Amino acid sequence: MTSPVRLVPVLFGALVLHQSLFVTLRIGDAHPQLMLLVAVAGGLLAGSERGALIGFAAGMLADLFVETPLGLSALTFALVGFVVGSAQTGIVHTAWWISPLTALVASFTGVVLYGLLGALIGQAHFVSLHLLVLAGGVGAMNAVLAAPVVRVMGWALGGSDEKAYAR
Amino acid sequence: MAVYRRTSRPRFTLLLLVLTAVTLLTLDERSNGLGVVDAARDGARDLFAPVKEAADATFSPVVDFLDGALHHGDLKAENERLRDQLSEREATVLRAADAEREREALLDLAELDFVGDIPAVAARVVLTPASGFDVTLRIDKGRDAGIAKGMPVVSGGGLVGRVIDVSRKRATVRLVTDSSSSVGVRISSTGDLAVAAGRGTGSTLRVDLVDPATEVAKGEIVVTSGLQNSAFPPGIPVGKVVAANTAAGALQQDVTIEPVVDLRRITFVKVLLWGPVE
Repeated sequence: MTSPVRLVPVLFGALVLHQSLFVTLRIGDAHPQLMLLVAVAGGLLAGSERGALIGFAAGMLADLFVETPLGLSALTFALVGFVVGSAQTGIVHTAWWISPLTALVASFTGVVLYGLLGALIGQAHFVSLHLLVLAGGVGAMNAVLAAPVVRVMGWALGGSDEKAYAR
Repeated sequence: MAVYRRTSRPRFTLLLLVLTAVTLLTLDERSNGLGVVDAARDGARDLFAPVKEAADATFSPVVDFLDGALHHGDLKAENERLRDQLSEREATVLRAADAEREREALLDLAELDFVGDIPAVAARVVLTPASGFDVTLRIDKGRDAGIAKGMPVVSGGGLVGRVIDVSRKRATVRLVTDSSSSVGVRISSTGDLAVAAGRGTGSTLRVDLVDPATEVAKGEIVVTSGLQNSAFPPGIPVGKVVAANTAAGALQQDVTIEPVVDLRRITFVKVLLWGPVE
């Protein structure tokens, strides 16, 4: 069962790490998107419903500290958490490469989705060729960080081996 | 035993979350910087700032190490460039002193304002852009220090941006690279007027309205024009020309500049306590 007692400090810890450490680790314009990775890990470990809830919470926290429209990260990360959770149903989570690969694909998709949703609500400049470069950079860096983040999220979700199978 | 069943509950939950997010987006759009959404944002940032400062201090050795590792090539190139610049400066320092006297005399004569006389507030950057789409900085001074919306923000090298939001102890600065930012500029060698516009994501600016006949050299500095009602005082370096081309039959040149200030690694800024001259 999801334990908010662990999940809440993990979300705030991720926010602090993101703001103080990861935003400075830039290659080009891209840096790891820890809050998006938390949403991906949530979907991966806890299924579609809780993945969406964790994604929404992570996105809301991220939204408070950027000047882009409030709710855009929450919407995007909730969708990413939901889709990852849905796609993971029935997958056997033994291979080591599943979480990095999922993080790579989901983070890339998440950044592109963020750009497209942003464009839909009037931020037309979010969509350009640069968006794909940015998404690729974020995807690659999140893939590197996937294993430890999934481990921490596993602990936060109460040793979540139950995964999404009952959803 | 695990129960394998699919219900519509996850989709219903997602629908609720989407509706909540859309409501927040609408409120944010409608509030236009004045509503409860912005107050919540400001409150959260002010509350978080001490934690962020403590975390910054804790992680700074790690950040410095990783920054050095990730940007070793950049730092080496920057060292080379700075060495070149230093030798050039040494050669021009005597001429500069003379030119400065001449410039001051001209400014006195024309009663022009210049940046050096404008009162300024030094501030530390407490939040750098936290996503590739966010082109703002958060600084540790606000209304209490005399900062108001619209004030220009500079750093050692030149223009950084403009204050777009102020709380008592914090202010948000929109960088010149933001797509909604446009700055009236003057090309330093020719004096031609133009407009430098940000591109949003990415780190260069587009300069519009440059006559195809104007000679624009790579490396040339573009400064704020400071015309009447301009949002910035005159003479602040904005960027350095990195490309200038004219397509056949075009009515203007395609000029690209990169900011003189490294906006990705900015630590301290100065807010000019200045408003447009009517």
